[in-house]
Order: sequence, then structure tokens, then C-alpha cells
Amino acid sequence: MRKSWLQGYILKRLLYAVIIAWGIVTITFILIRIGPNSPADKYLANIAARGQDVAQVTAAIESRYGLDKPIIVQYGDYLMHLAQGDLGWSFSTSMPVIDLIGKHWIYSFQLIFLSSLLAAIIGILLGMYSAVKQYSKIDYIISTFSFAGISIPNFWLGVMLILLFSVKLGWFKVFYDTTLPLLSLENLKALVLPVFTLGTGMVAGYVRYTRSAMLDNLRKAFVTTARAKGLPERTVIGKHVFRNAMLPLVTIIMFDLGSIVFGGAYLTEIIFGIPGLGQISFNAVFANDYPVVIAITLIGTFLALLVNLITDIAYTYFDPRIRYE
Amino acid sequence: MNNSRSAESRPVRIHGNRRLFLYYWNRTKQNKLAIAGLGFILFLILLALIGPFFTADPTHVDFAERNVPPLGFSTEESIYDIKTNAFTVNLIEGTWKHPLGTDGKGRDMLAMLISGARISLEVGLLATLIAICIGALIGVLSAYLGGWWDNVLMRFTDIMMTFPFFLLLVLIIFMFGPSLTLIVLVIGLTGWTGAARLIRSEALSLRTREFITAARALGASDARIVIRHLIPNVASLIIVMATLSIPGVILAESALSFIGLGDPSQTSWGIILNDGQKSLDTAWWVAVEPGIMLFFTVLAFNFLGDGLRDAFDPRSNLDAR
Repeated sequence: MRKSWLQGYILKRLLYAVIIAWGIVTITFILIRIGPNSPADKYLANIAARGQDVAQVTAAIESRYGLDKPIIVQYGDYLMHLAQGDLGWSFSTSMPVIDLIGKHWIYSFQLIFLSSLLAAIIGILLGMYSAVKQYSKIDYIISTFSFAGISIPNFWLGVMLILLFSVKLGWFKVFYDTTLPLLSLENLKALVLPVFTLGTGMVAGYVRYTRSAMLDNLRKAFVTTARAKGLPERTVIGKHVFRNAMLPLVTIIMFDLGSIVFGGAYLTEIIFGIPGLGQISFNAVFANDYPVVIAITLIGTFLALLVNLITDIAYTYFDPRIRYE
Repeated sequence: MNNSRSAESRPVRIHGNRRLFLYYWNRTKQNKLAIAGLGFILFLILLALIGPFFTADPTHVDFAERNVPPLGFSTEESIYDIKTNAFTVNLIEGTWKHPLGTDGKGRDMLAMLISGARISLEVGLLATLIAICIGALIGVLSAYLGGWWDNVLMRFTDIMMTFPFFLLLVLIIFMFGPSLTLIVLVIGLTGWTGAARLIRSEALSLRTREFITAARALGASDARIVIRHLIPNVASLIIVMATLSIPGVILAESALSFIGLGDPSQTSWGIILNDGQKSLDTAWWVAVEPGIMLFFTVLAFNFLGDGLRDAFDPRSNLDAR
């Protein structure tokens, strides 16, 4: 019985995801169309800046982008291209956008993966400790630091770390050498400050979520039952309280990943010169490289959508109490 | 407020409101951090309102007085003389004329920070107001109309929620050009999703309560039920939501300005920080000061929002502490 409604639910979620993806693509298309600068304008500005003949190129671009066709046909073409994985041509780097992304995604992935993993482990452990020792001195210290952590602007923290550790102390260099292999000691060392910058806010957030989720569950009757039947405190906390607190936590962590972490990683990459997707998009903004900026926004959005979808489906497996009609 | 109310019911209502206000104020007052936060926010508002009358023009450039450190600090400036081919080292000390120092163009940091406070507060309050209004409207409508409308509005909310907020902001500013009005509008028009969901779920649970049924039985119209019964009952939720979303808005504007996508005609904290980042080795205070302001502002709103949430939550037993 359970299998069948679950399959129906997954199908329904997939359908929603497709509708949301379509909505996102459509909103982006509308934004491009109502924007005061069309992609062609930006392209032409680029051509003119290079001293080439604008009039000659205009017609070529119009047919390349299909701008001479009716709007509805353009919309159809746009959807078709995206469905085929064709994200356009990056003229500031002279390569297809998809290749550009293929070359640089790993740096973003590395930064986000390391920061999220470390932040989740440290944040959850500190949060658990804080909840179990509620109102103790260490609880107050952890709570104060987590309040400071969620309030500190992460881009400012990055600049301060550079000021302290690179300018004043000279411990870390602040540029990333792409010629060296990804996991070389030099480049891992260059990742220390960025991971700290991106991770601080996350740790603080997770401490707060974990603490309140643990406290909610600690007051429940089943905890008293578990203690009454003589289970050791370790088992009560680790097995009964923590497992129940984890469920809402996982959703929050995954949702943060899509909505907040991407923005933070964008800024962190710019500050520390990590050649990831945020840096690429940032460069493209100032080079007027339209397709790249749009492609990276779309990729970020689709990833967020995918993460939410996986979380929702995983949730139904982990928590058998959940039922959706 | 509420001019449409009939004269007879007014004294009772105001009395009730004042009593309720006092009740919540007393509960909020117990949280010292919340009061500290409120105090800092009021100080900031005052600073932004009357500060400009007492400080220099934040855009006034004076190269003779560039890179002056804050009061109590000193820096060394080495000047290269092309004729004698020698370096002369000048010791620059902080002066009372520029208590917080000057930047690389000789602009007064204090004046710039006050201008930044005004911009941050404007952006934070206006964008949040827009976002909360849209969120409340969509949330209440979705809960109250239900069915097909609910489905469409919530799917639209899902779509807006999925956009990584900052990437969308960068995309729109990139396409339409940087201006403060646009930044406020975009943050307001995209930041309502959390409020809409929360208010919808609260309104959904309220909709089936007895007092709503009673109001309907007495013949109250839909509009009256929404305005007089639903919205006042989610008001506390809306206030907490608004207080806690202001810091995010302020940070978003600063982050945009920091990476050079802010309004170049305004002296905001993010823009000062952007300049400061480039001169870390010659004038560290230009990067440090706006960040400290930003940090305390965000902290103040977080403290206040947390305190308000506890005060409004009938389940939190403040007296027991």
C-alpha cells in the first residue's frame, strides 16, 4: 500500500518540479525581453568596442538570436535550445557557455561542498551540546557566538580575514593558482580562508536550528519514557532525541544550500579570486557577457530546485509518519 | 489609523489595543538583548535623521587630507620624490576634525557612515514593507480563497522561492542597471515568499476557528472577516517576520554595492567597503568601519526580532525564567 502512494507522490513532485522549471525559464525569458538592453545590444556594444563594423554584424546577430522572428517563435526556440543543453555563446571568453561552465564548476563545488560539510558537522555537534547543557556557561557562549555568526556579513568577514591573515600576518596568499592541480597543498591552503568565510554563517545557523529542534524534542513524553525504562543518557540523546530533531534540520540545511549558500559562495569566490561559477558570472557582468550571466542564474536555480526535490522525496523515506495525498 | 471605525466602538478598541500593547511591551522588556537591539536601532534612526546637519558633506573630496586614520591611531605614509629620488616618511595622526578618519580621497568617514546608515535603513524598511504587504496579501488570499486559487498562488510562490535570491538580484541589476530604487523594488518584489507561506499556514488554521464561524454566522462579509479578524490575528506574526527579514535586506543591498553593482550615486556601507577592500594595506579603517556598523545593525534587528517572537508567542513562558 505504502509503495503505491509513494510512487504517486514522487510522480506528482516530479511534475511540480517540471512546472516550476518551466516557470523559472519563462520568467527569465520575460526578464530578458523587457530589459532595456537586449542581448544583441550588449553584443553590439562589445563588437563596437573591438572596432568592428556594427551594421554588418547586426543582421547576422538578429538571425543568430532569431530576433527577427515573432516573439512566440523566439520563446519556443529558447525553450528548445535550453532543452538541448545549448546555453549560448560566451563572447568575452570565446567559447560555448556550457564548456565554460564545465571548466569552472568544480571550483564552486569544492568550496560549497567543503564549507557545507564542515559547517553541518560542527554546527550540529555544537548545537546538540548546547541543547543538552541548556543554560550552562558553555551554552551561553555558543549561543552568543552563533548570534554573532548569523549577523556578521560574510563578505566583510572575508575582507577582515584577508586584512588580518594576508596583509598583516602574511600567513595565507589570497589568490588561487589554476595551473596547479585541484587538490595540491597550495590550493587547499588557499581554500582555508574562503571555507571559513562561507562556513561561519552556516555553522551559526545550524547551531541555532539544532539547539531549538533538540530542545523541542527533549521536552516530549517519549524522552521521559526512554529515561524511565532505564536507557543510558547517551542512547536517549543520540537515538531518541537527535533522530527526531534531524528531520526538520535536514530540510533546513538543504533549503539553505539552494537559497543562501549560493549567494554566499558567489561573494566568497569574488573576494578570494576562486575561479568558480560566481567569479565567472561576476566577470561576465562587467564584460556584458549576457548568456553567461543568465546561464549561471539558471543553473543555480535548477540546482536549488533539484536539491529541494531530493529532500522532499528523501523525507518520505526517512519519516514513515509523513503521508501526502 | 482606522478612520472608518464607528465612533461608539472607538474608545473600547483603543483601550484594548493599549492594554495589549503594554502587555507585549512588558514581555519584550524582559529580554535585555531585544531592548539593546531596539536602542541601537533608535540611535541609528536618530543618527540618520539629524547626523547630516552636523557632519561634512560625505561626497566632499580633499586630497590634502586623504588616508587620515581614526582618532587615537596613526599611520605612516611614504611619499616618493621624483627629483631627489628619495622616500620621505610622513607620520599621520588621527584628528578631531575627522574622528573616524578619511578614505583614500579624503572624504570624511563619519559623514559617509551616517549617509550609509540612512541608505541601509531606507532600503531595509521600504523593501521589507513591500515584501510583507505582498506576502500578507498572497498568504491571506491563498488561505481564504482556497482550491484552485490556492494552488496557483502557492506554485507561483514555489517558483519565486526556488530562485537563489542573490543570483536573481545580480541578474536583474545587470539587466536594468544599478539604481537604489530598483534594488529596493527588486528585493521587495522577490522577498515575499517566506511571509506568504507563513501567513497562509497561520490563516488556514485560523479559518476554521469558532470566532470566524461566528463572524460569518453574524453575516460579516468576506472582506470584513479578512480585514477585521484574520489580519489582526496574524499581525504579531507579520511584525516578527518583518523585523527578522530586515537584516537580510540590508545585507543584500550591501553585498550588491560591495561587488560594484550598487547605486554609484549613493554612499552606502557596501560601497565604502568596496573602496576599503582595495586599500587594505594603506587604510584598513575604510574597510573595517562600515562592516562594524553593518554587523551591529544586523545584530540589533536579530536581537529585537528574537525578543519580539518570544514576547508574541503565548507558549513561551517568560515569567518562569
